[in-house]
Amino acid sequence: MSSNIRIRFKIIAYLVIGVLTALLLRLYFLQVISGEIFAEMASESISRRTSIPAPRGNIYDRNGRLIVKSTPVSAVAAQPHILIQDDGAIELLSDYLDIPVANIREKLENANISYLERVFLKTGIDKPTMIRIKESSGLLPGVEIVDIYLREYNYGVLGSHILGYTGEIDEEKLASDLYRSDYSGGDQIGLTGLEKQYESMLRGEKGEIIYEVDPQGRPVSIIEERPAISGNDLYLTIDIELQKVTEEILYGGIMEVREKTLKNTDEHYIVPGGAVVVLNARNGEVLSMASFPTYDPGIFSGGISPEDWAYLNDTENCFPLNNRAVMSYAPGSVFKIVTAYAGLEENIVSEYSTTTCRGIWYGLGSDFPKSCWKKSGHGSLSMRAAIKNSCDIYFYEVGYGLFVKMDNIEELLQKYSREFGFGRATGIDLPFEDEGLVPDREWKKEYFADRIENTVWFPGDTVNISIGQGDLLVTPLQMAMAYSIAANRGIQYEPHLIKEIRDPYGDVYTGSTTLNWKDIELNEYYLEIIEDGFDMVTGPGGTASYTFRNFPTGEIPIAGKTGTAEIYGKQDYAWFASYGPIGNPEYVIVVMLEQAGGGGSNASPIAEKIYRYLFELDQSY
Amino acid sequence: MYSSSGKKYSRLVRDLNSPKGGRKIKFDILFFLSVLVLASFGVLIIYSATRSPVPGIVIDPQHYLKRQAIFLGAGVFLFSALQFLNYRKIKDLWWIPGIIGLLSLIAVLVFGYEVHGSKSWIDLGLFPVQPSEFAKVFMIMTLSAILSKRKTEKVNHISFKKVILSSIAAAIYIVLVIMEPDFGTALIFLLVFIGMLFISGANFFYILGMMAIAAGSFFGALQMGIIKQYQLDRILIFLRPEVSIGGAGYNLYQSKMAIGSGGLVGKGLFLGTQTNLNYVPEHHTDFIFSVIGEELGFIGGFLVIVFLGFIIWRCFHIASGSNNSFGMLLASGVGFMVLTQVVINIGMTIGIMPIIGIPLPFLSSGGSSLISTFLGMALVSNVYIYREVRKEHEIAYDDFS
Repeated sequence: MSSNIRIRFKIIAYLVIGVLTALLLRLYFLQVISGEIFAEMASESISRRTSIPAPRGNIYDRNGRLIVKSTPVSAVAAQPHILIQDDGAIELLSDYLDIPVANIREKLENANISYLERVFLKTGIDKPTMIRIKESSGLLPGVEIVDIYLREYNYGVLGSHILGYTGEIDEEKLASDLYRSDYSGGDQIGLTGLEKQYESMLRGEKGEIIYEVDPQGRPVSIIEERPAISGNDLYLTIDIELQKVTEEILYGGIMEVREKTLKNTDEHYIVPGGAVVVLNARNGEVLSMASFPTYDPGIFSGGISPEDWAYLNDTENCFPLNNRAVMSYAPGSVFKIVTAYAGLEENIVSEYSTTTCRGIWYGLGSDFPKSCWKKSGHGSLSMRAAIKNSCDIYFYEVGYGLFVKMDNIEELLQKYSREFGFGRATGIDLPFEDEGLVPDREWKKEYFADRIENTVWFPGDTVNISIGQGDLLVTPLQMAMAYSIAANRGIQYEPHLIKEIRDPYGDVYTGSTTLNWKDIELNEYYLEIIEDGFDMVTGPGGTASYTFRNFPTGEIPIAGKTGTAEIYGKQDYAWFASYGPIGNPEYVIVVMLEQAGGGGSNASPIAEKIYRYLFELDQSY
Repeated sequence: MYSSSGKKYSRLVRDLNSPKGGRKIKFDILFFLSVLVLASFGVLIIYSATRSPVPGIVIDPQHYLKRQAIFLGAGVFLFSALQFLNYRKIKDLWWIPGIIGLLSLIAVLVFGYEVHGSKSWIDLGLFPVQPSEFAKVFMIMTLSAILSKRKTEKVNHISFKKVILSSIAAAIYIVLVIMEPDFGTALIFLLVFIGMLFISGANFFYILGMMAIAAGSFFGALQMGIIKQYQLDRILIFLRPEVSIGGAGYNLYQSKMAIGSGGLVGKGLFLGTQTNLNYVPEHHTDFIFSVIGEELGFIGGFLVIVFLGFIIWRCFHIASGSNNSFGMLLASGVGFMVLTQVVINIGMTIGIMPIIGIPLPFLSSGGSSLISTFLGMALVSNVYIYREVRKEHEIAYDDFS
């Protein structure tokens, strides 16, 4: 072989060694030096996480009756960024799901803008629809059928204002701090009532499946599976049977009042709404809480229809979603419980001191006469009789006395109002509870800041509050708590709806059974004097005597107070606040009817009927 | 060259051929064993790459395993059979494989069918054949005959005429393959031709001239639109891997990720996720090295490259040990064939070579590639066996004495 060719072989030898070494070096770089990075990228690229929805906890009444449960249903979910690009698929879905193309498009666009991974187009689809969608899966990119849980209500509309409803989480909530952890598009969350209040308890913990997927995203095998954990179960203080009775009696009562006409006219009472609160007098448990008009929370399951939503928000229908038991109203005479106590405690009046009612009162000067509801006057009255007859002039005197005594140091009537729990939330475990309003100098200054001439606090303002008028606002629940304070001689129990919370294994959740109470240190004797008055209200000659004429008040004495709040431009609001039996109080019942006339004639019958049910008395007298 | 290592190797081979020693070396058994081990390993790794079902396609999980095992058997049979034939006797018959090669390449243009845009397959009824794979070996035989010593010559002189003739022969092959179009295989043809021209001892000016003509033709073809810009872009995507993960860069991205994720020792045989789940396309054919890299790691890749390197070294060593220019060119040509394919194929899977669809010798799934590679190996082994020329008087004396 010539030396020339030998050299050429040598060159080839070096070439071979060179390129193979280059391959090995590159391989070393990829695998040994960057291996871990690539390994991470690789495992990320082949896995897909799918969350498994957790069933929400059940809700039971105090006797263990199942009120709300979670039922698994199939839902059509879409990945917005994929589906939005396929007009054909959207049209097909519109046909299958019977939803207009525009609605689907709007939903997808909204979700896409908020970068939602998944949006539910329809929940609770039937088998044939499911099969059609599955068979057309090739034509429907980014669309999948998933199992979710929806709420089912065993008692229909009963307790809807307490329970609240659930719905799909919206973008705003998803972005907020409160919901940021672990929530994703399409999740069902509690929007009102206990569902909202106890969202963190009820929701449970989502499970997760990590799939190994092929390049087309089809699952090949399961890498890891973590099952979902059900939410905790709520056991309510509500007795669902009593709730049923309460709602029926409220409904019946309102219907009766709507038949009645205003005195000397043929104008009917409107009674757009009303509320009843029944508390366990001994511990603040809410036994039933009714609000009229009501709604069916089931219509929210799987997304409320636009027609239903429009109905619920139409002024004509008096806003059935509102829980009137925790909304603010002028209380009228039921508020005299505070004025009476303040008068006794501050020595404005004493047990036997009397005031003469002539039907009209000039305490604020002759230019400002104020009248009693009874134009002919009550004559001479002591505290008990003043309560029995709900004499306004007696309480004007007390209110005026409290104003004068204050001597610019402390607003006494407001102070006692707050002691009885007005002007602040009761702390009940419901969202959207009104605080009400106890007007005072500071409030007036602020409220009328743009009209300086109205910022001055007049004695008349205090006098108005003394009979539950003026700018005073209270909720039926606050009123119930105030009467429960009187019944318990100064012990205030926080009204609550939860008896206990149990985890999915049935163990009681720690902390859920704590009872919140405090002694606000009232004079028991003064409360007894007031109670005597309340007793007389339901007795012969009292403002609720007609209602309780057949009630065995001898055996089961009921402490009650009627109220008729006058609101400018509206019919009177009827109130009745009560507890019983006197001596061993078991229940507190407060009734409030919007635009329903006198509390004695129109609100008290509702309470009386509920007492009849509670004490197992004959309803059919 | 290879003198000291060559001697040691000869002793080792002699001992292996006849354990008692002393007998004449007949057969390069280590070379054959390496080929056998590598090709058998190929069968195993192809099984690993194809055993998981592809969703939507019902197929016997052992389909590719069985196929490749049959091809391996055929390859071994062909290898063995060809050892009984002295390669020098067929030198004068070089035109037979030459013409078969050309006819098959023409046939594929007429009767072939397209796979991935190249009309490079022809269905022979029993199984499909890729004529360009066999044509590589046929071209090597043709070029070896043209470039080797004529009987009229005292020593092998690479005349201008030989260069022109060999260039025409190579050009015919290359143009036919480009017409499929299969630029990757055509590139291998070109590189093998240039390599053989180089090793034949041709003047450097001829070689440089040849490369200039090839480059000129390439740019001419690009200008005339025979090669489209997008095709070039796709081929050169490896230079800009960040450009597209979705398009042509996808294969490379997935391959690099698969190999890189293998780390030092790999995920274990049959346990490669990226390749088994079809993230790496063509993972049992052109991208088989991704499977090796992912499942057996750097150690596996290293061993495969070492085995391939050994085989390539044997090809050139046997070539350089041959005292016959035809044998030398034959073995060198096969050496270049394996070398260029190994470097381009593995380089492609790890992102340092253009993405061109050529198989990895011994390892990629496919009968044409495997059997033609075995054919090449048989020729190299044959050159080794029949390198002793002096005792065979019918053969004229050789120029390498």
